[in-house]
Amino acid sequence: MFSIVGGVFLGWSLGANDASNVIGPAVSSRMLRFSTAASMASLFVLMGALLQGRSGIHTLSSLTEMTLHQAVLVSISAGITVTLMTIVSLPVSTSQAVVGAILGVGFVNRYVDLTGLGKVVTSWVGTPVGGAIMSIVIYRTLATVNNRLRLNFLERDVLLRIGLVAAGSYGAFALGANNVANVTAVFVGAGHLSITTATLVGGLSIGLGILTFSKRVMETVGSRLVRLDPFSALVVLLAEAVTVHFYTFVGVPVSTSQAVIGAIIGIGLLKGIQTVSARTLLSILSGWILTPLIAAALVVAMQKI
Amino acid sequence: MKFLFRKQRQVQILVERYLEHLRLAQQNFSQAIASCLDGDARDDFMILADETHRFESKADDVREEIKTLMYSKVLLPESRGDIMGLLEAIDQIPRFFEVVLNIIRTQKLAIPDLIVSDVRELVRVSMETCDLMITQVEDLLQRGGRIPELLNVIDEKESQCDVIERRIMNTIFDSDIDPFLKIQLKELVIFLGEISDQADRVSKRINIISLKRRV
Repeated sequence: MFSIVGGVFLGWSLGANDASNVIGPAVSSRMLRFSTAASMASLFVLMGALLQGRSGIHTLSSLTEMTLHQAVLVSISAGITVTLMTIVSLPVSTSQAVVGAILGVGFVNRYVDLTGLGKVVTSWVGTPVGGAIMSIVIYRTLATVNNRLRLNFLERDVLLRIGLVAAGSYGAFALGANNVANVTAVFVGAGHLSITTATLVGGLSIGLGILTFSKRVMETVGSRLVRLDPFSALVVLLAEAVTVHFYTFVGVPVSTSQAVIGAIIGIGLLKGIQTVSARTLLSILSGWILTPLIAAALVVAMQKI
Repeated sequence: MKFLFRKQRQVQILVERYLEHLRLAQQNFSQAIASCLDGDARDDFMILADETHRFESKADDVREEIKTLMYSKVLLPESRGDIMGLLEAIDQIPRFFEVVLNIIRTQKLAIPDLIVSDVRELVRVSMETCDLMITQVEDLLQRGGRIPELLNVIDEKESQCDVIERRIMNTIFDSDIDPFLKIQLKELVIFLGEISDQADRVSKRINIISLKRRV
């Protein structure tokens, strides 16, 4: 049982880093209090993991063959990588960290399933692009509805608040369903956990990370990249949730960070590119490139020791 | 659906009550100035000035009530800020009413005949501007369809007030009245002109609040 501590650590760091993607816009636009949003997100993450987390686990557990020892090293190195990025307040992809670490093991074992890898790497480009496209489509649709409804601004206020809570819950559900594979798929691959236990352990550990350590990254996602008004916050949440949920059905664990950054860029494109901070964007992109490399290097180094 | 908007409805009712007090302060102010221009008994002016102050204070109390209600998380922070900013901007108008009446009261100012009709005109157009601004606030609390149209009318009225204000100033300084009285009248006219200027600023703020919510 001690061996899954690495998985729990990774789940915890995933929750700490990725919670900003489902509740960051709502919290940083001061729509919801952090504690309320974090509790709600943890609950929906667990539900998503238990109800729809299986297909991603199938994909990741078949990427390479590994021993239980190597599975633990994959979890630990991915967890360390994501935690480092969380400390420097960068929203990174846990999927990339896990895949990077698995590839590190594959490199040592001299075996990688290239078909599965191709699907995963393609999704790294597809996710931010999908997030941007979804946010543009959702923004235009909701804007038309908003302007046609002709609510007074007090009524609009109430509907936005309800919308953000609903979208945040859906986003958390999609996060749990899609990302639980990153946390415990390697243990399923090593034959150490059943899929059901893996979804439960993964869901609980992600929830723990959200509750205890997710506040820092939220500032980067919610307010530094682009100033979000409550309406845009709602669009970002919905676009991210739909994009990630789509990949859950495809069976590929993707990055909610990439989906949400893509969605925020989509809003930035609609409002004028000058609203997007190029500097912040560049540091986020460099985080995405470095993440799989650091995780792979860490796992290789750990195996050598 | 009504239960969803219960607290928002409370805010709306309080803002409407605030506007009602503002309207009453405005009526008393207008009558006080008329009484001063007509040269009626000074007691009438005093009573009307006190009434203006009373309704201004009542409006202040309602504003505090709205603030307390909103900081109990009734609205989104953005809307809270917009409403409080709006009420603070509107609140400058009864403050100008009081300043004008206090100038007349404490300096025992008598308006010379040569500017009476223009001052009457300035007050009349300023009060129309205030009425339109109140209508605009009410429209914001409803559906906001008339806001741009009212913005234009208020802007025109404010320009009209500027023209009258300049005319009064010219009349004052072209006349041979006592230079000290000229300075007193100048101060009075400046504050009278501020009423429509402030109504115009409020109107522009309302327009921005409305535009921010169109996406």
